Amino acid sequence: MADERAPSAPRANVKMVIDGQAHEFPAGLTILEACQRVGSKVPFFCWHPGLSAPAVCRQCLVEIKGFPKPIPSCYTPVADKMEVVTNSPKALDVRRQMLEFTLLNHPIDCPICDKAGECMLQKHYFDWDARVTRNDGGKVHKAKVVDVGRHIVLDQERCILCSRCIRVCSEVARQQDLVMAFRGDRQLLTTAPGQRLDNPYSLNTVDVCPVGALTAKDFRFSMRAWELWATPSVCPGCATGCNIEIHAARNVIQRLVPRLNPAVNKYWMCDEGRMTYKRVHYNRLVSPMVAGSPASWDAALAEAARLLGQARDKSPATLGVVLSAQLTNEDFFAISRLAGEHLRTERVYLAGAGEGWCDDILVSADKNPNTTGAKLIGGLSLRTAAELKQDLETRVLTALLLVGEVDAVAPLDWLPTLVVLASQQGPPVAAAAVALPLAMWAETEGSFTNRQGKVQRLHAAIAPAGQARPGWEIAARLGRALGATWTYADAKQVFGEAREKVSLLSGAEWGKPEAPVQLRFANSRG
Amino acid sequence: MDDPSQIARRVVIGFGDAANLPEDDQLPTESMPLNMGPSHPAMHGTVRMVLEVDGEKIRSVDVQVGYLHRCFEKEAENATWTQIFPYTDRLNYVSPMLNNVGYALAVEKLLDIDKKIPERAQFIRVIVGEISRITDHMTCLAASAMELAAFTVYFYLMKAREWLWELLEELSGARLTHSYVRIGGVVADLTDDFCPKLRDILRRCRATIADVDKMLTSNRIFRDRMDGIGIITRDDAIGWGLTGPVGRSTGLDYDVRKDHPYLVYDRFDFDVPVGCKGDNFDRYAVRVEEMRQSMRILEQAMDLLPAGPVLLDDARVALPPKREVYNTIESMIAHFKLIMDGIVVPPGEIYSFTEGGNGELGFYIVSNGTGQPWKCRVRPPCFANLAVLNKILPGLFIADLVPTFGMTNMIGGECDR
Repeated sequence: MADERAPSAPRANVKMVIDGQAHEFPAGLTILEACQRVGSKVPFFCWHPGLSAPAVCRQCLVEIKGFPKPIPSCYTPVADKMEVVTNSPKALDVRRQMLEFTLLNHPIDCPICDKAGECMLQKHYFDWDARVTRNDGGKVHKAKVVDVGRHIVLDQERCILCSRCIRVCSEVARQQDLVMAFRGDRQLLTTAPGQRLDNPYSLNTVDVCPVGALTAKDFRFSMRAWELWATPSVCPGCATGCNIEIHAARNVIQRLVPRLNPAVNKYWMCDEGRMTYKRVHYNRLVSPMVAGSPASWDAALAEAARLLGQARDKSPATLGVVLSAQLTNEDFFAISRLAGEHLRTERVYLAGAGEGWCDDILVSADKNPNTTGAKLIGGLSLRTAAELKQDLETRVLTALLLVGEVDAVAPLDWLPTLVVLASQQGPPVAAAAVALPLAMWAETEGSFTNRQGKVQRLHAAIAPAGQARPGWEIAARLGRALGATWTYADAKQVFGEAREKVSLLSGAEWGKPEAPVQLRFANSRG
Repeated sequence: MDDPSQIARRVVIGFGDAANLPEDDQLPTESMPLNMGPSHPAMHGTVRMVLEVDGEKIRSVDVQVGYLHRCFEKEAENATWTQIFPYTDRLNYVSPMLNNVGYALAVEKLLDIDKKIPERAQFIRVIVGEISRITDHMTCLAASAMELAAFTVYFYLMKAREWLWELLEELSGARLTHSYVRIGGVVADLTDDFCPKLRDILRRCRATIADVDKMLTSNRIFRDRMDGIGIITRDDAIGWGLTGPVGRSTGLDYDVRKDHPYLVYDRFDFDVPVGCKGDNFDRYAVRVEEMRQSMRILEQAMDLLPAGPVLLDDARVALPPKREVYNTIESMIAHFKLIMDGIVVPPGEIYSFTEGGNGELGFYIVSNGTGQPWKCRVRPPCFANLAVLNKILPGLFIADLVPTFGMTNMIGGECDR
């Protein structure tokens, strides 16, 4: 017997009946998961696929033949010969009654609630109840605006006490920040004595909150959720490469939310990563600049090509190319090709953002999203940011092509020739003879290679700011101005070529095009 | 250069030079293309007819529709089920209530609630629908009579139509674009004095129709222009899919209200008039009689009108009362979901048809289970009715085109969608 129970022993499948249909499931599955697999709908509030199941909301009650009472399906494992009925009148009725309890003291906030439109309470009421109120008394009132953390505001009235946020804190962030206080209809969610909800993963509580109790200060009152368009992408905050959805409306990013990837980030992402979108709309270089004045693309490209060609012809050994590890694989590949074939320089440096804090949950110390990709494409000849600093200080370099965002390494304004491809205004742009506006990660198709070596796709969620263009396109146009015969039509073509030339990328897939979906019609939400 | 006096005597007829004609021969005639419309007083509803005329005679006709195309079907795919009602108002815009009802019935069948619509709501739908049928026919007769110079008739009928529209305006808030019907019933109950007012209006309308009958039916000029003109055979009516007064004028005894009763039409005693020759006069006469039959239905409906709710009591379909929305979370959520996501109609397809002002008004709707239709196709009766003109106009005089077109009662909003 003991051997059979050991985790290593193969478990027999379980044969059982759900809603009159015979099914077979692996042992250990919960009834709720089994129902989801076979398409029997069972609602839930407190259960979350990434968290433990406390069975507090009683919204997933089902009837099991032979059991005297309805059973919470999220908590109960499947068993042989079990007969589950998810939609019997009794099961539907007890769920309705539980929902009625939940609605009893819920404030009438939909018009002013951030969660409206993606609210599970709204959805479950409409799908499973849709009856009028029987409450002829008042409601219990609680605090409406509780500043619980750096990023989060709590509305205790709206809370349905599902405890998902408490479990996110304890199971994902591994911190006991939130607790329940009091009992009955006075029960409320609050911070633990002496604690604030300030852990680095606090905004995940807003995602998992089934109602509008926990709202993000950053997103609060800025946009109705159903107006947003979701585009799948990857967080540019660090080398982890958490999968995200960009939620944008009218060409402005409103928020980033995590997207399920069991191999990378599961259901979660860190608070820092969620704020990376701010840079997309901050201090952008929107027009090509020649000697500090706006110029046309044609004029700026011609001038850049002239300067770089001159430097190359004079002394290729003093011409350097700096590539940021924030560039996509495609940008990196195309500019590397330009540097090798047409600038004929061996001084290609890899720079980017510096090191930062890290943990063993999701956050990497390397704050660049594509260091791995850059190293795969650039190979062993890539020089480091330290070498760049040294070469600038010793004045080995006299001409520089700087691509992407790079932490300040040394003053650049003395350089006789400086061409910059940048997204943001700043000292390099100010010092550059020619500055060309570069599209950012949320504005282009492309890919990042994360610290695990996974090549992950980015999709354009919004149009590039001003006249900004993707790096591979600028590289191709600069190349043509310098006499190249090659060009690229789109990022996919660059990716295909990179995959052929870089053996370590040969397994990567470009994937399908993804059109943005408006949340209003994305049925899965709320 | 020719002598100027010689040039002055040169006469050209058609492509020929008169001087070259044999003296005793007939003058040659050649057919001439003639565009009528889309901007022509007789082409009401905005339609273009490219005629090939031989003198005054029409040799062939090419009826070109589409000038009032508003992408109804595409717009519907981007609106919630309820938001489509205002678009249906603009289909046949002289009888919007009939379109409202036809569309609502189609969606209700998909939702499988068509048998649960409150009885009072069904009676109200019949009442507003029959009022609309009368206004539809009045518009048709008034315009056609005017085009045959009977201006008095036009004013008499327009005045009567206005009495009816004023009543509907009292009821719905809009004179023409009522949007009064909802999925699950109608938006509001009849006004308190609706029935007495309607009875009074019907009394006056009867007198008006009697006057019009006197002025037109035995009017020599009118009869000369209508009798035997634009004859359609019963076989052609079936072949071309003609319905409504145009189809019935040919003797085709088909009225959706009788043959496939919907709402509560099977409870009323009314006749379906049919013509015997299929000419313009028959179409006129059928319409006059249909108005009288509609009045019969109206009077019976008012007599039998039951009490009760006018909207289905189902939070997933009908908006809850505002008082509840503002004061209870349950109704607030229902309201929010119905407005933002729309009514959730189960996946499926349906063709539902009713008797519109011009004939069989059909809605073919496909739902993919969301708050918007995946497809919302309209079968506009006057599209088929208009198409037959290509067949019946050749051989008639240009002047005959006007009453023949008028009697098809082409409504651009419905035909072109």
